[in-house]
Amino acid sequence: MSALRLISNRTSQQALSNSDYTWDYEYYEYGPVSFEGLKAHKYSIVIGFWVGLAVFVIFMFFVLTLLTKTGVPHQDNAEASEKRFRMNSFVADFGRPLESKRDFSHQMAEESPSLFHFCINEVDHINKAKESQKGPSLESNTHFQEVPRSCGMFEEDLHCLTKFNIPNFVNTEQNSSLGEEDLLISEPPIILESKLVMQSSHRILD
Amino acid sequence: ENISNFSLNTTDCTQVVVPEEVFFTVAAAGILENLLILIAVVRNKNLHLPMYFFICSLAISDMLGSLYKTLENIFIILCKMGYLTRHGDFEKKLDDAMDSMFILSLLGSIFSLLAIAADRYITIFYALRYHNIMTLRRALVILAIIWTFCAGSSIAIALFSYEAATVIPFTILFPLMMFFILCLYVHMFLLARSHAKKIASLPTSTVHHRTNTKGAITLTIFLGVFLCCWAPFVLHILLARFCPHNPYCACYMSIFHVNGTLIMCNAIINPMIFAFRSPELRSTFKKMFYCSR
Repeated sequence: MSALRLISNRTSQQALSNSDYTWDYEYYEYGPVSFEGLKAHKYSIVIGFWVGLAVFVIFMFFVLTLLTKTGVPHQDNAEASEKRFRMNSFVADFGRPLESKRDFSHQMAEESPSLFHFCINEVDHINKAKESQKGPSLESNTHFQEVPRSCGMFEEDLHCLTKFNIPNFVNTEQNSSLGEEDLLISEPPIILESKLVMQSSHRILD
Repeated sequence: ENISNFSLNTTDCTQVVVPEEVFFTVAAAGILENLLILIAVVRNKNLHLPMYFFICSLAISDMLGSLYKTLENIFIILCKMGYLTRHGDFEKKLDDAMDSMFILSLLGSIFSLLAIAADRYITIFYALRYHNIMTLRRALVILAIIWTFCAGSSIAIALFSYEAATVIPFTILFPLMMFFILCLYVHMFLLARSHAKKIASLPTSTVHHRTNTKGAITLTIFLGVFLCCWAPFVLHILLARFCPHNPYCACYMSIFHVNGTLIMCNAIINPMIFAFRSPELRSTFKKMFYCSR
């Protein structure tokens, strides 16, 4: 590469002066390099580098896998969770979750404290955002009116994160065909609030 | 003495040469793939979103890297055939321009990956306000700033590539960005874990382990591919600056063309792990190909 030829020409002490800019694959500009008296194998940097890189990547993979080890689920929350979520596909047609809408509003009343606190924080943020922004008020108004459902939308976001199919999280059109093979998991996605999704789609399309 | 040193140098740790056909094939594949992505995003109005603009930015920087390699090979062939002189002023300027194109490609890749990670981070953690935070105009402004910075830095680095002052920041920037991107993704990952725990409490959930393992695999692939493709070249730059006469360093630098090929492979793999995961983009491709028949 010519960039490195430039580097080598300026640093090598015995640079061949008539080969300053040669378009060549030969790197004799580096000057004499003595290969005598090497203690280790001559490709030791190459081997060491690649082995180190492989070890690092594998180590990173194991750390991430350890991070994902889910512990024993809390028994007291088991039933509440069961009532809270229904097994619907996030990418299914939006008409399906309509029948679960009624149950969902009941379930939201039994939210766990952590989720509730999170929703409260989000509501606070939305209120502040609503006061400070004059932009598209449709979103903030909608969320201001439907606090529990916004938490449901966040659950949907979290769920998409677990699939780690993150670019597909933001659904771009209502009738896009998102097949099952695109999901990293095919099992249990979260209930989808159809109205919220439609609103989010409209917002995205605007 | 020079000749004997010649032979000493050329018999040990000779340059590992990658055949030109392999170079051209890999480079052409990279350029075509990324060009397809650009065309698809431009043609489909549904893809005019910040997320896809960042993916396009990554595609452009990958294309620049492959284009650089292709042009360099073409110029070397022209030189061998005698159409271009080897020591002319025009060739020197062309050389500088192409060096800066290559470094622009590297910096563009790093910053595009950072932008994609930040965009996903905002999508997850500020989901409700995402559309206010990341508007289309802001995304374009961010991309303009990134590319201006990368262009300026690449020209500066190419002109002053022999100074340690440019090599060191360049090589520090690389792991720093990787570390930052890793932190963003790990934080998102931890959130996924807490969410998966909630799902795990459901009676019918049986595959959450598989899900989380897949998440770990995906993240490892994201970062592992980038590291494996670019780190060899960055190490080469470091060694060329600081120990060009050391025999160990010289042996590492003899595999330089393999490193260059790895960078072009990155241009081919990146669209697969970023762009082609989007079903919208895939359906756009299908429409493009079926309509053209």
